[in-house]
Amino acid sequence: MENAATAVRPRRIPLPAWVWSLVWLFVVLLGWQGLSHYKLVNPIFLSSPLEIVVSAYSLVKSGEFFEHLRQSAYVYVIGVVTGCIAGAILGMAMGWWRRFGDIVDPYVVFFSAMPRVALYPVFIMLMGVGNLSRILIVFIGVMFPMLFNAYVGAKQTPRHLLEVARVFGYRRHQIFVRVVFPASLPYLMAGFRNGVTLGMILVVVSEFFGAPGGLGQQIAVTAQFFQTSFMYAWVLYTSLLALVFVKLTDWLERKVLWWS
Amino acid sequence: MLLDIVQVHKHFDTDSGKLTVIDGVSLQQREGELISIVGASGSGKTTLLRIIAGLETADAGQVLLKQQPVSGPGPDRAMVFQQSSLMPWLSVAQNVSFGMRALGLASQEVEHRVADAIQRVGLAGFETFVPKQLSGGMQQRVGIARAIATRPALLLCDEPFASVDAMTRQSLQHDLQSVVSQGNTAALLVTHDIEEAVYLGDRVVVLSSRPARVMQVVEVDLPRPRDPYIRTQRRFQELREHIWKMLQQP
Repeated sequence: MENAATAVRPRRIPLPAWVWSLVWLFVVLLGWQGLSHYKLVNPIFLSSPLEIVVSAYSLVKSGEFFEHLRQSAYVYVIGVVTGCIAGAILGMAMGWWRRFGDIVDPYVVFFSAMPRVALYPVFIMLMGVGNLSRILIVFIGVMFPMLFNAYVGAKQTPRHLLEVARVFGYRRHQIFVRVVFPASLPYLMAGFRNGVTLGMILVVVSEFFGAPGGLGQQIAVTAQFFQTSFMYAWVLYTSLLALVFVKLTDWLERKVLWWS
Repeated sequence: MLLDIVQVHKHFDTDSGKLTVIDGVSLQQREGELISIVGASGSGKTTLLRIIAGLETADAGQVLLKQQPVSGPGPDRAMVFQQSSLMPWLSVAQNVSFGMRALGLASQEVEHRVADAIQRVGLAGFETFVPKQLSGGMQQRVGIARAIATRPALLLCDEPFASVDAMTRQSLQHDLQSVVSQGNTAALLVTHDIEEAVYLGDRVVVLSSRPARVMQVVEVDLPRPRDPYIRTQRRFQELREHIWKMLQQP
């Protein structure tokens, strides 16, 4: 009886979740490779994983990847950065000057309800298929979610924190800088996170409509010419980039909002 | 006279008409004096404090501080709030210095006062912590440190210990007492805790429930400094019972 405790078998340590994730990935890839190898699916629609990897590698080796990445990144960075800044400024202003917010509110609601990609043909009509119209579509797409977040962020600043600042003699602009802005940071970060992913989608979609180059343009072109393995390689790169951006945003958010 | 409240009236406009919350309250406070204000919740005592702080204006009557009418917040007054009112993104030290920003002090002086105030509320060693890492009682201490660091002539306390547990409340009460007596600061303490009002106050102002009028000003003739054992003395209990009975009147 006294030995009951020592008789317990040592507990097995479970494998970490990521190991199982990798196992599953391997199984799926293997099955996929099998489907392609035995010609069970038409290679026009689905390339084998190996072919995709080979194509992806050749894109890097030839430098094509970097050239198209450069073209997409140009539109993406300018569109996302300006969209976020404009949305943050406008949203904060709407939340801070209530009267201004009330006046602008119906227009904002109207434009945010409309599917903004619908505006793209208008931009092309006005400005052609150059970078400017693509930047504009990213800008507008990113600005609205940012604006809403900033608006809510500024409006939800806890009343008692505003009163603390007032009691200690802060002037209005000081209250904005020292209280409203930091109190809105979690909302601004949420808007930024939104913009980062939405901007990616918009760059790719806008390039479908015709562009001299870029990740989305390459997806469209390779699909048209049935270069299926290259098309998947571009899709793979686009997804990986999106993943990297999301992880970077996570990291930035932890840095900025360390106190929450 | 430090503070002279003269016939202050205040009403709010509600859907069902005019609601009078303060109906002709007058009160005088000497420098360095600690006055407790008790009344049922919703009796307008917090509103009175907010008028003195300059966060709200009286509809009639006036508040004079050192013979000057109060027209808004000023560096001669500081407030300790009911609930945690710290900036969540600032450390303890930064929260304490937050209150001094408008005073235009040299950074050396600010640093010195921050260290001193944190020391006095017993939070030395917690300077770099953020509010989330502190208990409710510790957060309230930071709130007190922030207020006393501005070296106000009058400290306004709005039920500062209402949201902490009984043990913490006792030690915070003790701290407030020593902080006030050391700095020769006058304090106005709004509370619904009669024991707390008697324990801390030189005088206790008893307000009627809405609209607030001064029912009586009770002199607390207990010696200072007071320790928690004073609660067991007969005089303490008499005063407590006296105020309690007054508050039971309709």
